[in-house]
Amino acid sequence: MFDVHFLQQIVNGLSLGLVYALVAIGFTLIFGVLNVVNFAHGEVYTIGAFAGLLLITSVAPPLFAVLLVVAAVGALTGFGLERLAFKPFRRFRDEASIKSRAMREATLLSSLALSIVAREVLDLAFGGEMQVIPQSYLLQKPIMIGGLALTDGNLVILGASVVMLAGLQWMLYRTRTGLAIRAVSNNVLGAQFVGINTERAIIATFLVGSMLGGVAGIMVGLYDGSIFPYMGFGPAVKAFVAMVMGGLSSIPGAVISALILGVAESVATDFVSAGWKDLIAYGFLVVTLIFFPRGIFGYSRERV
Amino acid sequence: MSALLEIEAVTRRFGGLTAVDAVSAAIQPGTLVGLIGPNGAGKTTLFNLISGVTPVTSGTIRLAGEPITGLEPYQIARRGIGRTFQNLRIFPNMTVFDNVSVGPLGHARNGWWEPLGLGGARAAAEREQVTKSAREALERVGLSSEANELAANLSYGKRKYLEIARALAGRPRLLILDEPAAGLNERETAALARFIRELNGEGLTVLLVEHDMSLVMEICQRVMVLASGRKIADGTPVEVQRDPAVLAAYLGTEEEAHG
Amino acid sequence: MKPLALIGGIVAIAAVTAALLLSGSSYAVQVAITALIFVILTASLNLVTGTAGLMTLGHAAFYGIGAYTAALLSTKLGLSFWVALPLAGLVTAFFGFLVALPTMRLTSIYFAVATLAIGEMIVVAITNWTGFTRGPMGIRGIPTISVFGYEGLTVNLLVVLAATLVSMWAIWRLTHSYYGNGLRALREDDQCAEAMGLNAVRLKIEAFTIACFFAGVAGALFAHTSGYISPESFRFGESILLLTMAVVGGLGSVPGSAIGAIILIVLPELLRGAGNVRMVAVGAVLFLCILFLPKGLFGEVSALAFARNQLRRAGLGWSR
Repeated sequence: MFDVHFLQQIVNGLSLGLVYALVAIGFTLIFGVLNVVNFAHGEVYTIGAFAGLLLITSVAPPLFAVLLVVAAVGALTGFGLERLAFKPFRRFRDEASIKSRAMREATLLSSLALSIVAREVLDLAFGGEMQVIPQSYLLQKPIMIGGLALTDGNLVILGASVVMLAGLQWMLYRTRTGLAIRAVSNNVLGAQFVGINTERAIIATFLVGSMLGGVAGIMVGLYDGSIFPYMGFGPAVKAFVAMVMGGLSSIPGAVISALILGVAESVATDFVSAGWKDLIAYGFLVVTLIFFPRGIFGYSRERV
Repeated sequence: MSALLEIEAVTRRFGGLTAVDAVSAAIQPGTLVGLIGPNGAGKTTLFNLISGVTPVTSGTIRLAGEPITGLEPYQIARRGIGRTFQNLRIFPNMTVFDNVSVGPLGHARNGWWEPLGLGGARAAAEREQVTKSAREALERVGLSSEANELAANLSYGKRKYLEIARALAGRPRLLILDEPAAGLNERETAALARFIRELNGEGLTVLLVEHDMSLVMEICQRVMVLASGRKIADGTPVEVQRDPAVLAAYLGTEEEAHG
Repeated sequence: MKPLALIGGIVAIAAVTAALLLSGSSYAVQVAITALIFVILTASLNLVTGTAGLMTLGHAAFYGIGAYTAALLSTKLGLSFWVALPLAGLVTAFFGFLVALPTMRLTSIYFAVATLAIGEMIVVAITNWTGFTRGPMGIRGIPTISVFGYEGLTVNLLVVLAATLVSMWAIWRLTHSYYGNGLRALREDDQCAEAMGLNAVRLKIEAFTIACFFAGVAGALFAHTSGYISPESFRFGESILLLTMAVVGGLGSVPGSAIGAIILIVLPELLRGAGNVRMVAVGAVLFLCILFLPKGLFGEVSALAFARNQLRRAGLGWSR
């Protein structure tokens, strides 16, 4: 039962889960601060991948540099997204307006609309086919550890994720920006009263979340060997599911749920054909929404 | 005469906090009762327990002898409890008339088949009844001329009356008003007080929560006082005003004041 | 409705229809058929999203259930279009009911996401259950509509037009009635509506089920007028297109749905050359609309005021 093949699936699942986790954190941060779902988050992931690809095919810098540039591009994209799709609906500064249902629905639609535009523009610019990725960059070189066949991709994902998660923790708990973000997530009005610049906190959230999303995108692109305009949709849904499972405003909850989801998907490929695989994430989501209103990890959530 | 509303040892706990602590009361039909208490005493929670919005942790609430604890809010409303809200919840994107017509709508048996013409004469009669109830309620509060106005365009004071009209249109046996005078100036408050007393004079049982002492003392026949979730006084306005426990709850005791 | 307005409307529709048929352009007729089907879809979406306030992102999946039901009933069981149509509507309504039951207690965005997930699940199921639905290959050879032996494009157009008029009538009646008022109250403040005696959960489930019925009808019409269906037509992107049509036309407004649907079907056809830009245009239109025209072109307030004026002679209220 605990044979090598099974362990292999687990390892692959963990890699997958880490990627979902990086994207999920973006959702969670934004949700915590604004109480909205950013429907365009998946496109940040895709844009990160394409940006990385452009960089690779034009300048061909070392991988490390690619990741850094993509992080910057991701952050920039997030900033633009916030200004275009979210800021215009924050017409008033009071809490009732910031967390109102009308605003949430409007931003849901506006971010959705932008995601469509972004996706289709990429489709027009690059075509819907998978892009060709230079051999040397593909993170698919096999490495044997014990009996397990890993790829350098697994290690890169693991390494980058650990670094970014640690960086995130540091930022959230050791910097003023992080403090501002946590304060705004907790109580918008209160944060304003103590003089925290909520606008900056919101922007910072988008910057950080999108940075993580963009890097996740390029890593998966190189690991899978496929970059195409619609690549963001699947991971975005899975990441969203992870966020909901984790109890919505909880980063650790989202990360753990993402890992569970990744492993579940990976293991399930043994039992069901690829087409049905997506059903797992959707199924998890629906079950969680209906039966675990507080998220699987029991963090509190407003009336669901 | 048996009580219209009986509250028996009703308690509501939120985790570690006891918002309402074994409160018991009986509201006689046709009376005008006020509920007062310092902030955080549990008044609105008690209202939410009565109207079913919040479930009780323990205790029973009876309306005309029938237990209503545990029922869904819409079921309780249909049994004859109409209410207004502290933070004025009207339907902004609907006209004044449409707002008020929601009141009797809950009691109607008509469903989706009615607009498609499948209801027959009975459905049409019910429709007429809804129109009539809504029209009458609007007239009662004096908003007939604004019937086709969008509710969002009404002034604050008129919205208050709109909410009351909506509750009245459902022909309730018991009307619960949650801080009806909030945000009104002296003149408006006096007019509202007169209006509520008129409604009560017509036989409607009214239970209201208020912070405005003058309104409560002036029109209520009976006043209950809540503090920290417990009922600490229950009597005529005069009795309650002199009750040392009540004074202590609002002002702190002599020792605290001078200490 | 004022008799003059009604007659005027009928004459206008008759004139446009005659013009289309006489133009000799089968392409134009085909576009008109598509537009009408989307009018039904958008109006049904508007009932549940614009009027009752339940944002659903999986409506196209129910369109798909209707289409597949009709297609399978006629190809596998040999049922005629006239039987398949109502059955498709009922089956889809049933699925809508099943979906609504567990999800209706979720608040707005969670409900939206749940419908998105369920919509995708439905499409995934259709795509992969190849034994039953032939999967991505779709279903071919769906028999066309036959009226007393007459068939063809003209028949299709007239039948679809009739179905659209009936559906629009029904949805209009539902919206412009005390029942519709109740649904609007749910949209405005469902907790408060409950406190007024409305059984919010039940009404929401009803609205969703009814909307799915009409989506199913639209699906059946699509299946029988195009002869071929595949899962690709019922994905998330299509649901967004429907939502955009409703938003552009005006959420909560029945005539708005028609306007939105017609604009978003006809306009891309007129811009045929830039065919691939369709989805970009949809996204851009949706975004601009949300930003600048949140009430849509003929929003609910205007539409209701318009209808109100028609009923004014009968006095207040939603009496005839």
